[in-house]
Amino acid sequence: MRPITATLVLVAVLLGPAGSILAGEQVEPREMLERMTVAMSQMSYQGTFVYVQGDSVETMRITHVSDESGVRERLVAVSGPAREVLRDSSGVRWVLSDDRSVFEDSAFNRSFFPELPLDQNDQTELSYSLKLGSEARIAGHNARNLKVLPRDRYRYGYSLWLEEHSGLLLKWELIDGNRKSLAKLMFTDVRIGSEVDVKELKPTRQLKKFKTVESELPSGRGLSKTRPKWQPGSLPPGFQLTAHRYFGQSDEGIYEHLVYSDGLATVSVYIESSSPDSDPRAGVNRLGTTHAFSQVKNDMLITVVGDVPAITVKFIGDSVKAVSP
Amino acid sequence: MSKETREHLSALVDGEITRETSRFLVKRLGSDDELRATWTRYHLVRDCLRHQDGAIAGEDLCARVSEALENEQPAKTSRTLPTGWLKPAAGLAIAASVALMAIVAIGPGAPGVPQAAGELASEAQAEQFTSPQSLTPAPYSSQASLEGRNDTRNRKMNSYLVRHYQATGVTGGKGFVAFVPIVITGSKTVNETGSKDDSVDSEAERDEEPRLR
Repeated sequence: MRPITATLVLVAVLLGPAGSILAGEQVEPREMLERMTVAMSQMSYQGTFVYVQGDSVETMRITHVSDESGVRERLVAVSGPAREVLRDSSGVRWVLSDDRSVFEDSAFNRSFFPELPLDQNDQTELSYSLKLGSEARIAGHNARNLKVLPRDRYRYGYSLWLEEHSGLLLKWELIDGNRKSLAKLMFTDVRIGSEVDVKELKPTRQLKKFKTVESELPSGRGLSKTRPKWQPGSLPPGFQLTAHRYFGQSDEGIYEHLVYSDGLATVSVYIESSSPDSDPRAGVNRLGTTHAFSQVKNDMLITVVGDVPAITVKFIGDSVKAVSP
Repeated sequence: MSKETREHLSALVDGEITRETSRFLVKRLGSDDELRATWTRYHLVRDCLRHQDGAIAGEDLCARVSEALENEQPAKTSRTLPTGWLKPAAGLAIAASVALMAIVAIGPGAPGVPQAAGELASEAQAEQFTSPQSLTPAPYSSQASLEGRNDTRNRKMNSYLVRHYQATGVTGGKGFVAFVPIVITGSKTVNETGSKDDSVDSEAERDEEPRLR
């Protein structure tokens, strides 16, 4: 049986003995957020959406299937160079057809991640102000707006339009602390449930003919009560450590990955043995709305990645230090 | 019902729980009405979410689960990529085969969270947040295309990004939205602060605050 994860625990609680979610009911903002998280993972949906960031406007298509075979997903660019991301229980394949290459990363073990960290929803309200917005019709569906506004400048805010029955995300807007729009995503058509054409999960090209590029990061699985060897000495308010992976005790150096979340924003902290030939360039880098900060400290490469403002990754990265034995 | 029991029940549905705990829970399902009702509700929720038709999971499900557990093969200790797309590239990264990996899940709601993990979470929070005034604004920003997948540095950064998006898709509830930056046409990693040699890339410019393009 495929994971349905701990999210169901919360959904069941939300449904309560009556077990019903009705359109038109008055729901709390926090509950809307929780519904969205479950819907994004557990529902099957398919649709075309427009993504706008600055002067760039892209059309993309998502097919997300959740069934007995598990969760499978394909995100493909409709406009521009043919690129797509394929996700399933085995991991992620990032297909760059124009380069005839496939970048692969093994699965990030879901069983060690609470998809909907129950107590972190309480934490979320410490970091964000949640406000119900207006109703709208998007892609043929009635939607409710939920504004998630940051309480400080260390995280972005969101304006979310959620399908009234399921909570599925129909429109998403990323906003900074000054309520300036940074990026938008809006569906133009959406199919839900049995209407989803699973054939669209198939990649566009024959991937066997493409060059395979493996992730530079170690994969595998194991469990140990290992304490972090390195960790941030200070964190912005609201961020909690949600996962930790450690590879070590080999001649190849160490690799440590810590994941922090405030309930919505996620920050990854990577600590690895430095290798000057392959270390990313130092300083703050950005890809779309994602910021990364890298620096070498005591022969260790420290990299912080997150969909948060640049000051946040830099602040966390600067505070990373070895943990006293 | 305790939160721990609910987590164990969810983990049981996930099939990611030790056999011993599974047997214990299944045994309880036979005698605990509340537990059985919750179990049934999980399946109802899933069916509703997936728009599946058919009968609601009933008490006979417990019997079927018991039978399945009895016939279950020993759990695999590793999850591998399907044959055909696991082609390790020589000389890349740390050899996973020799690395000793440890995973510690920390945070509320995680099935099987070890006690030590909880302590770590407390430790992480124990450190007080210090003044944001210590932050130094990005002195300049220079555009640098790091898109070339053949470059070692790019490959490393791409590795960080993809793994981070996997974590984000799970912990932040963003799902596929997390992966959009690596699919959009205009995705380029932009160096906003850093080493002097970044200046070989054009368009260096003063910028008090990092900007989004």
